[in-house]
Amino acid sequence: MLKIDNLHASVENKAILKGLDLAVGAGEVHAIMGPNGSGKSTLGHVLAGRPGYTVTAGSAQLLGQDLLTLDTEERAHLGLFLAYQYPVEIPGVSNMEFLKASVDAVREHRNEPALDSVSFMKQAREACKAVNLDQAFLKRGVNEGFSGGEKKRNELMQMMLLAPKLCIMDETDSGLDIDALQVVADGINAMRSPDRSFILVTHYQRLLNFIKPDRVHVLSGGRIVKSGDHSLALELEERGYAWLEDVA
Amino acid sequence: MSQEHIEHAIRKEYAAGFTTDIESDTLPPGLNEDTIRFISGRKNEPEWLLEWRLQAYRDWLQMAEPAWAHVNYPPVKFNEISYFSSPKAMKDRPQSLDEVDPQLIETYNKLGIPLHEQAALAGVAVDAVFDSVSVTTTFREKLWEAGVIFCSISEAVHDYPELIKKYLGSVVPRKDNFYAALNSAVFSDGSFVYIPKGVRCPMELSTYFRINEANTGQFERTLIVADEGSHVSYLEGCTAPMRDENQLHAAVVELVALDGAEIKYSTVQNWYPGDAEGKGGIYNFVTKRGVAHRDSKISWTQVETGSAITWKYPSCILRGDNSVGEFYSVALTNNAQQADTGTKMIHLGKNTRSTIISKGISAGKSSNAYRGLVRMSPRAEGARNYTQCDSLLIGDRCAAHTFPYIESRNPSAVIEHEATTSKVSDDQLYLCQQRGLDAEKAVSMIVNGFCKEVFRELPMEFAMEAGKLLEVSLEGSVG
Amino acid sequence: MNDFMQQALAAASRSAPPWLEPLQARGREAWSNTSMPTRKTEAWKYTSLQALQKTFSAAPTQAAGSPLGDVPLPKLSGPTLVFTDGHYRADLSTTELPAGLRLVRFADATRDQAERIAAALGSAILPGRHVFAPLNDATLTDGVFMDVAANTRIETPVHIAWLTTGQNESISVTQRLLVSLGENSGATLVESFANTATGGTAFTNGLTELLIGRGAQLNHYRLHLEQGDVVHIGGVHARQEADSTLNGFHLALGSALKRIDLVVNHQGAGAHCSLDGLYLPRGTETVDYHTCIEHAVPHCTSRERFRGIIADEASAVFNGRIHIHPQAQKTRAELSNKNLLTSNKAEINTKPELEIYADDVQCAHGATVAQLDPLTLHYLRTRGVPRDEAEVMLSYGFINELVEAVEQAELQAFLKPLLARRFARDSRLTRHIL
Ligand SMILES: Nc1ncnc2c1ncn2[C@@H]1O[C@H](COP(=O)(O)OP(=O)(O)OP(=O)(O)O)[C@@H](O)[C@H]1O
Ligand SMILES: [Mg+2]
Repeated sequence: MLKIDNLHASVENKAILKGLDLAVGAGEVHAIMGPNGSGKSTLGHVLAGRPGYTVTAGSAQLLGQDLLTLDTEERAHLGLFLAYQYPVEIPGVSNMEFLKASVDAVREHRNEPALDSVSFMKQAREACKAVNLDQAFLKRGVNEGFSGGEKKRNELMQMMLLAPKLCIMDETDSGLDIDALQVVADGINAMRSPDRSFILVTHYQRLLNFIKPDRVHVLSGGRIVKSGDHSLALELEERGYAWLEDVA
Repeated sequence: MSQEHIEHAIRKEYAAGFTTDIESDTLPPGLNEDTIRFISGRKNEPEWLLEWRLQAYRDWLQMAEPAWAHVNYPPVKFNEISYFSSPKAMKDRPQSLDEVDPQLIETYNKLGIPLHEQAALAGVAVDAVFDSVSVTTTFREKLWEAGVIFCSISEAVHDYPELIKKYLGSVVPRKDNFYAALNSAVFSDGSFVYIPKGVRCPMELSTYFRINEANTGQFERTLIVADEGSHVSYLEGCTAPMRDENQLHAAVVELVALDGAEIKYSTVQNWYPGDAEGKGGIYNFVTKRGVAHRDSKISWTQVETGSAITWKYPSCILRGDNSVGEFYSVALTNNAQQADTGTKMIHLGKNTRSTIISKGISAGKSSNAYRGLVRMSPRAEGARNYTQCDSLLIGDRCAAHTFPYIESRNPSAVIEHEATTSKVSDDQLYLCQQRGLDAEKAVSMIVNGFCKEVFRELPMEFAMEAGKLLEVSLEGSVG
Repeated sequence: MNDFMQQALAAASRSAPPWLEPLQARGREAWSNTSMPTRKTEAWKYTSLQALQKTFSAAPTQAAGSPLGDVPLPKLSGPTLVFTDGHYRADLSTTELPAGLRLVRFADATRDQAERIAAALGSAILPGRHVFAPLNDATLTDGVFMDVAANTRIETPVHIAWLTTGQNESISVTQRLLVSLGENSGATLVESFANTATGGTAFTNGLTELLIGRGAQLNHYRLHLEQGDVVHIGGVHARQEADSTLNGFHLALGSALKRIDLVVNHQGAGAHCSLDGLYLPRGTETVDYHTCIEHAVPHCTSRERFRGIIADEASAVFNGRIHIHPQAQKTRAELSNKNLLTSNKAEINTKPELEIYADDVQCAHGATVAQLDPLTLHYLRTRGVPRDEAEVMLSYGFINELVEAVEQAELQAFLKPLLARRFARDSRLTRHIL
């Protein structure tokens, strides 16, 4: 599904990713943990092609295609989805209009027929229900005035409607109350399938109690410094990251 | 809180309003080419400078006094002003502090200028300009070691002619505006600072200005050149005695921040504001501007509480890429004072940044206007400005205005401007009173809180002074 | 004064009803003492009147009876008066009036009506506040008086369309509307200004006066849809009595030059006005809005929201002044002006001004200038939305709040596609907006 080799990237001439390797197989769930500022969000943004993030070396392939030469929307069409740690507010553009534009664009590139507004509305309402957001949110400006938790659930709703291949979820669990966490975990679990993979960026092992990861990685200083199974997450929770600096 | 309660306030005299009885050597009032020749002659100036002054004078004659500011005053009679006054005992300049007229030292002490030992403790080098002549400069030695030049501009004309020739008028051209042209023609003294490449000036530099003589104008000129990668913080303070006539102060300040340099220029302006009825006081018509080259920074901080009329717009021309301009201002007007002040941020270079924080406080029947310009030129790729302008009104006879000009010709430049107006509310006063504060103290506290973003920018020892100054200036305003 | 203005003055004095003559004479007198503003005049600092150096001939004295073709005008289900090149077009107008509403053309006014009109004309304009008002007075031959009786709510919108046809090379046209709302009445007024596709140059001078009685409410929409070489210099001057409400919506698509002065004068306590505005110049067009709210009495409120998108080599000026007089305690006034520049050659000059002489007031203004936020654009693209469509969505989103606030449903339905297509002709790019 995803293959990253020796990825180096910088922001404003500051090197953040320094030789990152990662391979995610189809249908797998990988968790990435790591200290603040280690480059977890940067990894997501680099893969999504955010302006200002420069790749200085290395490669990244999604489904065998070179991601790094594609435009942002082409990466999305290919099946990449990044749920933001800090979702963007867009006053003046309604959530519905935004969702419909995204879904239409992605379907068009999969050569699927465009959804008529009735079936789209039906799907959108179902997605709302699945993430436990009131339908009124469809009418509001994208993320405009949403609470932290509502924004996260709105990201998840977009993911459900777009049905991507690779979902990168950047701290989608942060700032959620217990019930919302359950909603998000249920949503992700429901979407798991043999041809869809997940990268869960998280600081909390509790999410991983709900969603069992195949692999757990520690990102530190711009590289993956340790990988393991679910037990690594438990160990990190207990011991923090300090011991790893020595290992690395 | 009852109105009557608020009215109950003590009036205090202008604290710096004493005159000093020193025999001085003053040119009779009047302005013509001979006046200029006299001034230039007295200072032994080179021919080029006399020519420069005369040209400025001729330009000035062609110019009209600006009328666009939101201020009102009878026309200034430029021929009734004396354009030169020097304390007589100073004809031969003192060689050390001991030679300075003790009465003058006394004056500075009254003003609280840390000239003597105190100065050493405070780490402040002071160039004191008394009426028009620079009296003495302390700490020259210590600065000399660092390679910093800090002297009066008349001395600099003799000692560093290349620097003066290169930079005088380079930021504020001779005929930039009416008052700048007048200043260029008749400036009598002022300070010159040069910080060599890569040098961090080892101490705060400071100048105190004082107008002492009746019927004199003060036309000082300050030029600060910070060479590449250097750093300097400069503070000026101003006072004048109480007099019934209006006195004119038309200064010019030019700052040059070369690549990577940083200049921080702070002003505490406490010229005599006139009495409660608006009689007397200084007309403060000042041109201040800096040019910021690549990666440099110019920061203006001003606390303006004095003067009958203030007309000044310390500005930054952000010429070099990545240069930064800042303007932090508190302008307080009380009684019949009028102020029209603000800044101009001219963004020419790429990724230039500017911040404007302006706090206007109007009390009594005064009028206080912020006037600012933010201009993004077509080249100012990625430039940014943030402006916040707040006005506080105390009493229902004062006025507060905001005139921000915003001009953008570059789509990638981002400008944000916000302004608010509020008054010291009865609720706030009531709350303070409940906590045992009297109305005066409460207002002063609220005002200080209102200004804290600006005070934070002042050098430490002056932040205190500024707070006190506001308190004194506000006395009698509650109600 | 330009030659064409002389001509227009002469033509006007020949064709006006006799009772307008004193007003014309006063206008001529005042205009002859007016000097044309220059870039040195503060209120014209950013706008050049160079475009008026051209010659415009006086409008033809007869209405051209031709059909209009494809003028983009809202179709509203109320009385509609259409003027082409300054002449009333009965063939294009519908004049069925609900009870309590009168629409009187100056040319048709009875003696009593003429007396009322003559007395009221100019009364909403503060002295010296509209440079081109004397020219309008002096060249006035016809206009409309809209009169709403006290205690009447008119539900259907009144539509007045001012068109220029470009039948003649270049013409100058004077437009005048006088509106009077009696106490506790209510009405909706739509003014549209447009030109036919055949183009031609026109100088239009449109002056609207709104006299809003105690407790009355006027919803006023003024749409400037002219394109091409049209130069419009006009204004709306409102006088609001106690407890009255004015809701204004202003739209200016660009043309060679549009300068519109909006002055609202709060004369009675408890008056409220809100002004929304959009300006969208492109090409080499210029739009200049000068607004001023005169808070002359206590307890009034005002809210202004103006948004501009300036494209290509166009330029826009916004000057929003809030003036609070010494007696106007307890005023609340706010103003927001946001601008998007979408090209390297576009230009905006904005100046939100506060002039405050009373202390117990709450005033705030804000102004921003920027381009579409690159990170927001990126966010849309991470969801697969193509860049060009994302740009259109965000541009429209920038003005959407004000479009959504248009209460008149038919008008909103007219505006949405008109505005969306401003940002893209290709319907693929606007399909999610519309
Ligand atoms: N636009 C930027 N300019 C400068 N530095 C940046 C920028 N964006 C990110 N960085 C820096 O890059 C480093 C990595 O940031 P990143 O957001 O990827 O960390 P993270 O691992 O996601 O941290 P957290 O756990 O706090 O979310 C940080 O030091 C951050 O400050
Ligand atoms: Mg992060």
